[in-house]
This record gives sequence, structure tokens and C-alpha cells, in this order.
Amino acid sequence: MSKLNNKPNSVRNKSSIAILITAAVLMLLISGIQQNYARKQIRNNLERNAEMELIIKAIDVRHSLEDVSLALRNRSWEFEQYLPYPDSLFAVTRRIVEENPNFAGCCIAMVPNYYSEKGRLFEPYTLRRGEVIETCQLASEEHDYSINKNFILAAENDSSFWSEPYHDEDDPKVTLITYTFPIYDASGDMAAIVGIDLSTEWIGKLLNSRHMFPSSYNLLLSGEGRLIYRPDGEIKHKDVDQIMGLVNDSTAKHTVSASGLVTIFSFVDWEDHTKGSVFYYTPKSLSPWRIAVINYNDEVFGPLIKMGWINLLLTLAGLLILAFIIQHSAKNLSELQQANLEREHIESELNIARNIQMSMVPKSDTSALREDCNIVGLLEPARMVGGDLYSYFIRDEKLFFCIGDVSGKGVPAALVMAVANALFRSVSAHEANPARIMHALNEIGCQRNEQNMFATFFIGVLDLPTGKLRYCNAGHEKPFAIGKEIKLLPAKPHLPLGVMDDMIYTAQETVLQPSESLFLYTDGLTEAKNESHELFGLKRIEKGLQDCIENESITPEKLIQTMTHRVNGFVDGAEQSDDLTLLAIQYTPQEKPLILYENLTLNNKVSEISKLNAFVQSATAALNMEKGLANQLKLAVEEAVTNVIDYAYPNGTEGYIDITIEADESRIRFILRDSGAEFDPTAVSKADTTLSIDERPIGGLGVLLVRNLMDSINYERTEGKNILRLEKMYKFAVH
Amino acid sequence: MNTTITEKDGKYTVSLEGELDTAHALEVEQAMQPLHDLSGKDITIDCTQLDYIASSGLRILLALLKSAKANGNKVVLSNLNDEIKDVFKMTGFIDLFEIK
Repeated sequence: MSKLNNKPNSVRNKSSIAILITAAVLMLLISGIQQNYARKQIRNNLERNAEMELIIKAIDVRHSLEDVSLALRNRSWEFEQYLPYPDSLFAVTRRIVEENPNFAGCCIAMVPNYYSEKGRLFEPYTLRRGEVIETCQLASEEHDYSINKNFILAAENDSSFWSEPYHDEDDPKVTLITYTFPIYDASGDMAAIVGIDLSTEWIGKLLNSRHMFPSSYNLLLSGEGRLIYRPDGEIKHKDVDQIMGLVNDSTAKHTVSASGLVTIFSFVDWEDHTKGSVFYYTPKSLSPWRIAVINYNDEVFGPLIKMGWINLLLTLAGLLILAFIIQHSAKNLSELQQANLEREHIESELNIARNIQMSMVPKSDTSALREDCNIVGLLEPARMVGGDLYSYFIRDEKLFFCIGDVSGKGVPAALVMAVANALFRSVSAHEANPARIMHALNEIGCQRNEQNMFATFFIGVLDLPTGKLRYCNAGHEKPFAIGKEIKLLPAKPHLPLGVMDDMIYTAQETVLQPSESLFLYTDGLTEAKNESHELFGLKRIEKGLQDCIENESITPEKLIQTMTHRVNGFVDGAEQSDDLTLLAIQYTPQEKPLILYENLTLNNKVSEISKLNAFVQSATAALNMEKGLANQLKLAVEEAVTNVIDYAYPNGTEGYIDITIEADESRIRFILRDSGAEFDPTAVSKADTTLSIDERPIGGLGVLLVRNLMDSINYERTEGKNILRLEKMYKFAVH
Repeated sequence: MNTTITEKDGKYTVSLEGELDTAHALEVEQAMQPLHDLSGKDITIDCTQLDYIASSGLRILLALLKSAKANGNKVVLSNLNDEIKDVFKMTGFIDLFEIK
């Protein structure tokens, strides 16, 4: 069993695992593709946004730088106006610094030897130191501005420009840049180079005013790759130098954005290994400065990664649910299969039970075998098996029949029915009195009747030679007798079988007239319901039987057919609520003209046997029987008569035995009548012919020989007489 | 119905002649009574002339067989006609007796 069960289980598990793996792979694939696509989208967006940010910020820076240069240009007249007065230039520088809080200092570096009275170098200078503004002459031989790169550049190019960033000498943390521009005297000659020192802090403020991501920051690099603004305080990462190095390294692996404007590269922070990307470009308006924005992957892709994790968790949860569902449904499926299997089992067993049950009821009517009776039965269980039964068989020229209805339906009723059927047959094998058969059935039925099952039962024993019907009813519906008219057989109700073990059943008698019929049924017929819950009832049965009489056909076939048709029509598709059983019997004795009728009366003495034998011999001779058959008949009759002498009359009693021989052309019949004690040789158990010499009793062979030699024997006890009929078929031949 | 018992070389032969019916059973039984007391003598029952046998006749044969067996004797039936053989078959006697 376990072996059988394991295999489908493992197959089921395997297929479940395969489904799960497939689902997992599919879900991971989908989420991978999604992630990849989203990453690309984010990267593209980042690129576009960075580009936009850089352009906007470049313009912002440009604007603020222009504001500075414009402001200075607008005041260039002041420089030119005060040129002739060298000392007034100090005030000019001071005023400019005072008026522009952004300015850290202002110097006017005169072209060397411009003022002969001031020596070769002259440079009025105002410096902002915190709240204090100081003005001085800065130039000296040690501080020779004429060799200063910015001065030379401005002088040579004759143009304004922004210097490379440099550290403030007073405060190295402060980065300064200088805007340098030339001023000219009235004659149009270059007189001096003005330098405005600006702290880059305000540029930083501009740059880092808004960002795509919290940790993002901007860098502004000079043409030489130095930081114009170093956003130390705001940056958590210490990778500025590394990034600057990469930006300045032309050999490093950089890519260019789709528009070709922005250069991009990735980096991994040396210290904390965070990954990031740098976008930078050189705006024309700020050239050669470069502006860069640094974004960190964890922030750029953070939501995506988070989404990825959520996806993964959801996938896992989904898989778990799927696994659960598969397992559950597989379990359900297997349970369903199991249940189906079991139901099939039960059904097949019920089918077998039904077949067994159906095989218990006699299959063919007796008309094929017998001329003197015709019997047809019908059993239709409401379920696969039912508690109704009918049975019949012929023994010793008697038709034994019964119909019964075991309480309840289905298997338990069927079991009781099977037992009742078997009992009926086994008891009837030795007993021809229906009351005694009923009594035996009841006795056994009451024993161990823990389920309190009971059965209504009707037993009939029809003596075929005489048409005498003995019957006994145990709570069953009264049968109909159908002759020229219909009547219910008067039957004492009695209690059903299995109710009271000391119930006394009595038999009743009637004589069936030739071609009279009996119709028996169970309550499945009277209580058949139509859809409006009406019962079929006795009236409809009577009507059906009446119609059969009017149609001059009361054969069992016709009766069953009519009644089945009527009840089916009545029920009309409503569910059959109870087992339905019908049994119809017609008595059809055949009277043939006798060609021989002889009678002999003997005393109950053994010595009379010779007379008997001579009597039989003369009869068989008159019928031209061959010697073998004649001797068989002689032996049978002798044995039967010997039995009567031995058993019917106790020792010493005198009595007679009357023997009648009657024969038609195909049958010879010996009728033995005596008025001795009741003795039914047909009820004698068959002698065991297989016993050994020692076991073999002397005697008990008579009935055995009679049974073997004759075609049928039949016993009746009527009016205080034992009547035994022996019959043999033969063919009369005229010699 | 005639019952003849002959002895030859220490063996007994019973010849049954006629019809062994119930009416003649007692007579035959009495005729055969001496055979019940024999010791060490085998008995052959010659049925050549036996036309008919009823169960009462079978009973006599069975009784003889039982006593012969108790005495250690054999009982052999010979020359049964077909009808009688049939009766022996019907009653199972065919298996009890040695039949020649």
C-alpha cells in the first residue's frame, strides 16, 4: 500500500518542484529584465538631468561672474578719472571693497614706472579681513607683481580674465580667485591692471544650491584642473582629490553622454568603496573652467535597489504561496483521486453485490421447464442493492415461493435479504409447511438481531398436482388472487420476521383453480411516489389487474408488464424511493386423458409386497414398458410402500395402503394413500452413499432409491391421510 | 425366491435366484444366517439368477458384509445384471463390495 502511494507522491513532489523552479526562474528573469531596463532608464535620466543641471549651474556661475565684471566695467571711469592722482587710488580700491561684500580685496597694479614719483612698482590695495577693511600699498621689491603670472597675462593679452584659484594667505581654508582687467588712461594707453579678489564661497553656494540627490555635489575646476571651490564642509566623502585626478587624467576611461556635451566616468571611492559617477563638462561661457556633478550610485539606484529587494521578497512570498497552493491542491487532488478510487472500489463492490443479489433471485420463469405453472419475478432496487427479495423453486412437485421486504435499504438490508433468501431455500429443502418455514426463519432472524432489522415476508407452497396453496404471511402486503375476478388473499398479518422470537405463525390454505394467478408485490409498488408525492396505492394495482382480466391475459408476463408500465408511467421520472419487487404466478395444470387407471389396496404387511409387485408389473406390462423401466418402477413403488409400512404405522397397528396407478401417454403416476401417522418421505435427508462399510447404517436407502428412480415425488397430508405421488415420464408405444 | 449355499474348498458360494423383494427378505436373511458365524471363509454371492433386488435385500447383503469383515472374511458378488448394478450404483453399494 505504502509502496503504491509513494510513487505518485514523489511524482507529484517532482512536478510541484518543477513548477516552483519554473515560476521562480520566470519571476527572477522578469524582475531582472525590469531592473536592467529601469537601471538604463535611470542612467539615461541621470545623464539628461546632470547635463541640464550642469548647464543651468554654469549659466548661474557665468551670470554671477558677469555681474562682477559688469560692475567693475561700469566703474572703470572711476579708475580712469583718478589715474592722475595716484594716492586717490587707495580710496577707490577701498570704496569698491566696501561697496561689494563679496569682494575680498581689490588691487590696482600700475604698469611699472607709470608714476615716476611712486617708483617702479605701485599697487594700492584694499583687503577685507573679516569685519576689518585694510588699505595699503602692496607692491615691494619682494612682492613684485610685474612678474606675477596674472599681471603678465592681463598686460600681454590686454584683456580681462579670471585667474586660477589660490589659497588666501591669511586663511588657507579660503580659496580665492581674481578677476583681472586692464584700465587705460586718457591717451588710450594701458595704465594698470585691476584685480578683484573674490572668495569662491559664494560660487559654492550657487553651485550647491540644489541637487538631484542628497549626497550629490558639484565641483568647479579651473583650466589647470584646480578646485575653484572645494565644498569640504558639506561632503561626507573624501574623494574630491580622487575625482579631480580622474577628471584631469585624460588617459582615464571616460565616456561621453548622448549629446556629446558631458563626459562621464564612474569611480569607486578609495576609502569606503562607495560607487559613484562623475559628469563634467566645459561650458563655453566659463571655458576653460569645468563644472562637474558627482552622484552616488546608492542614491541614484537606491530606490531601484530597494524596489529590487521588495520585488525579490514579493517573488519569494509569491513562490511560497504558490508552493502552498500547489501542495494544497496536489493534496486535494490526491485526496480527490483517493476518494474517487475508493468510490470506484465501493461502486465496483456494490456492482458485485448487485450481481450477487440478482443472481440470488431466480432468473428464468418456470414455464420453460414446466407446463403446470408459470412464474415471473421482478426486482428493482432503489439503490445498487436492495432489501427486497423474491425467490421460488420447485421441489417434489411443489412450488415454493416467497417475497419479502427487509426494513431499510442499501447494503445492510441486502445482507439480511441474502441471509433470508438462503435460509428460505435451506429450510424449504426439508420442510413444506410454510408456517414452519416462517417459524424457522423468524427464530434465526431474531437471534443476534442487534440492528433490530426486520422483514415482512410471505411464503407460499403450491402443490402442483392438486393446486393446493398453503401460505403464511409475516406482516407482508396481501397478495392478489386473480381468477375470474380479483380478490385479496385472506392472510393473517402476523408480525414481521425478526421482531418476536416466540411468535407463532400459522399457515392458511386455499386451492388455486386452473389458470388462476397470484400477484405479489412489496410496498415499493403501493408506495411508489410521483412528483407530487401521491402514492400509487392499492386502487391503481387493482385497476391494472382488472384491465388484465378484461384483456383476457393474466399470464405472469402480462401482469408484471402491465404493472411495471403503470407504475413507471405514474412515477414519471421521480426518483425511485424504495425497492420495487413484483412476483406473479399462474397455475396451469395440464389434464391429459388417462390410458390406464388401476387401484389396489394392501394391508400394512410386508407379505403384501408380492401382491404390490404383481400389480405394478401388470400395469407396466399393459403400458408396454420395457423390462428395465418396469423393474425401476416396481422397485420405486415397493420402496415407497415399504416406507409406509415401516414408518406410518407403528408396530402392531393395522392399516391399509391404497395404491393408484394412472398413466397418460407420457407419464405414469403412482399415488399412495394411507391413514397412518404423518410421514413425509420428501423431508427425509438424503442418505450418504459415500460412507464406508463400518459407517454405513443398515437402512435409509428406500427414499434414496425412490428419488433416484422416479422423476418426481410429491407428498401431501390431506384430511388425515398421507398422500405420496410418484411420477415418471415415459413414451407410450403400441406394440 | 431360492437361496442355495454351497461349500467347496473351504469357500462358500451363495446362489440367489428370483426376486429379492421386501416380501422375501426375511426368508433370505434367515437362509444366510449361518454365514455370519463363519471364520476364515470367503463368501461368493452368485447373482446370475437374481432378477430383482429391493433395499431390504441390500440390507441383508450389507449386514453379511459387515459380519464377514469383522471375521476377516471376504464377500464377493458375481454376475450382477445391469439393472441390479444400477441399483448398486445408486446406493453407493458398488464401492462397498468386491464385484466380479
